[in-house]
Amino acid sequence: MTATISTTSVTPTRRRRRSARLSPLLVAFVLVPFAVESIWVFWPALQGFWFSLTRWDGMTPPTFVGTDNYVELAGDATFRGALVNTVIWLVLFGGLSVLGGFGMALVLQKERRGVGFYRAALFTPVVFSLVVTALVWRVFYQPDGIADTLLRAVGLESLIRPWLADPQTALYAVILPALWRQIGYVMVLFLAGLKAIDPALHEAARMDGANSWQRLRHVTIPQLKGVNAVVLSVIVIDSLRSFDIVWSLTKGGPYHSSELLSTYMYSTAFQSLRLGYASAIAVVIFVLALAVILGYLVRAFREEA
Amino acid sequence: MSDFDPGRRRFLGHLGLAGLGALGASSFLSACASSASGPTTSSGSGAVTIQSNLSSPQAKAAMEKLIETFNGQGKGTASLNTIASETFRTQLPTYLTSANPPDLYTWYAGSVANDYASKNLLLDVSDVWKSLGDYPQSLRTLSTDASGKQIFVPMNNYWWGFFYRKSNFAKWGVQEPKNWTEFLALCETLKSKGIPPIGIGLGDTPWVASAWFDYLNIRINGAPFHRELLAGKQRFDDPKVKAVFTRWREALPYFDPKGKAYPFQEATTALLAGKTGMFLIGTFFADAAPKDALGDLDFFRFPIIDPAVPLAEEAPTDGFFASAKTANPTGTKALLSYLAGVEAQEAYVKASSGIVLPANPKAKASDSPLVVKGKAMLDEAKELTQFFNRDSSDALQPTADTALTKFIDKPDQIDAILREWQAGAEKVFKG
Repeated sequence: MTATISTTSVTPTRRRRRSARLSPLLVAFVLVPFAVESIWVFWPALQGFWFSLTRWDGMTPPTFVGTDNYVELAGDATFRGALVNTVIWLVLFGGLSVLGGFGMALVLQKERRGVGFYRAALFTPVVFSLVVTALVWRVFYQPDGIADTLLRAVGLESLIRPWLADPQTALYAVILPALWRQIGYVMVLFLAGLKAIDPALHEAARMDGANSWQRLRHVTIPQLKGVNAVVLSVIVIDSLRSFDIVWSLTKGGPYHSSELLSTYMYSTAFQSLRLGYASAIAVVIFVLALAVILGYLVRAFREEA
Repeated sequence: MSDFDPGRRRFLGHLGLAGLGALGASSFLSACASSASGPTTSSGSGAVTIQSNLSSPQAKAAMEKLIETFNGQGKGTASLNTIASETFRTQLPTYLTSANPPDLYTWYAGSVANDYASKNLLLDVSDVWKSLGDYPQSLRTLSTDASGKQIFVPMNNYWWGFFYRKSNFAKWGVQEPKNWTEFLALCETLKSKGIPPIGIGLGDTPWVASAWFDYLNIRINGAPFHRELLAGKQRFDDPKVKAVFTRWREALPYFDPKGKAYPFQEATTALLAGKTGMFLIGTFFADAAPKDALGDLDFFRFPIIDPAVPLAEEAPTDGFFASAKTANPTGTKALLSYLAGVEAQEAYVKASSGIVLPANPKAKASDSPLVVKGKAMLDEAKELTQFFNRDSSDALQPTADTALTKFIDKPDQIDAILREWQAGAEKVFKG
């Protein structure tokens, strides 16, 4: 699209006629990535929809079962639990990482001595792979590990429990490391957004007597609209695809208490070998992600229009 | 994906899973379906490719050495392809259904092999068995599919038992129990001394709990009922299954409460450090034990509950099967015959570090007292079972993990747990 715009805008009157005939190079630039994308993304995605209507063990050919998988999903308590956990995850992981990331960005946006160190420290967890993160946190949570030692040191022994093995705490014990990582990432996105705000706007607001809260509410936040869209998409997508950290810490257990849609889909597909049913779960995840993001985009476009 | 499989040496390197995005995963699923090509390897009467999941350093080196020796004998050529066990497990169906599959695979005996046989994916290796006349009948039966032909060649097996440190039992002044009553008394004694009697490791390795279920079931209801249950011919909400849990509940107060939170490797460390009294586990746990502790280890069989029930033991058997579509059946069978022979099995047992018993009765096992005792225990057993997942399927294992960890947490809810288990199992059997 950008290519077409540039040809028309760059080429004045004389060459306008030629733009009707697309340059073969241009066609290649569009079609080759499209073909690659079709083979590796669109076609398998469409196939996923088809598999969700079948019963399939990965070995024998899939058999068509209509909407049986979706009917079963409706009555599946584990699926319902996973859905609730995914919503909790979306709210806690998404909400807190936005709040935390934004707060940290505000605190660390001013260039002061040593601010680089704090920024780097907050961003460091992003550099580690989530699996490494999980290993570190597992040491933290293990019986008589750092978490238990800390609680004992402040006299809160009564709170000690098998953090990852207790169905009451497992989900939250997994959210924490995920947040620990995500906050740094969101902070960087917001920092970039804050840097892009014209200081003259703040200057003008200050001249008009706006206090710092008013400047934040009426200058900073509206100016961050572009970044917000990015952050929201990132958060929603990251929440729904959160898998590795959960899988490496609890595998969705104990007895499905920290199960997310993504982990349930994986275990259904590759442990239970029910690939049709797993595809149906994948479709639900896809629809959820699409709904949240489309909802936001539609609103954003309406405001612009 | 899963540490849920009790197969040996599968516990390392399972964390390397990429996060699967919503769409990404559905495309991954379909990628499996549409890939009719799979790994392209052998052609015609060329080298036999062997796909191995024995990826721990010692086992891998041992296999490499075996293949090298085979190639030196001039009966054919083989090439070894070692794959991380978790990848192997998830990819095995793809290998077997691909148009040009590898020839030979490491795998486990029992239902997990027979399932593939029932889909006509495995090579009939009855020819190989003709020269294995001295193998015990139990192994022959185990390697035979529903249609009566042999599809599996065993390499070695190992056993499960209550392992303990001799020095600790001496220090505490306790002896091996002979039956369930003595076992509970032993637990009570240890508990009164402030030692959690029974170690377990369910965090990350919840399948370890299945050993308790398997053993209680084969001690109370017998091995045939156990197999029928795992094949879907009996129900998990049957009163006979509930009886298993009633017994289990008697021992539940003696379980190490920390065992819920850490994996069996750490439960091993706890046992060796004297922080737990004993530990029901397979011999593979010793891979994680320091060599100097090995001499101090001993075990006793799972206590007898009902003397009228024929004695059965868990003896998971590892070995090989071949693809029905192999382009070189002669070479594949030659390699299998070699692997089933005394020379190869002795070489493997010697080179791999673990405590394993060679399948070939003529092959000499290690002569450590532990191995001698283990072999004697298996020889005495009337029936051998494999392990929960091997006697059923990897697909059924997660339903057991859920039910058993929940039972250990909430024994009061046993009726609801068994109902859920039955419902979950029915879904798996339905496909």
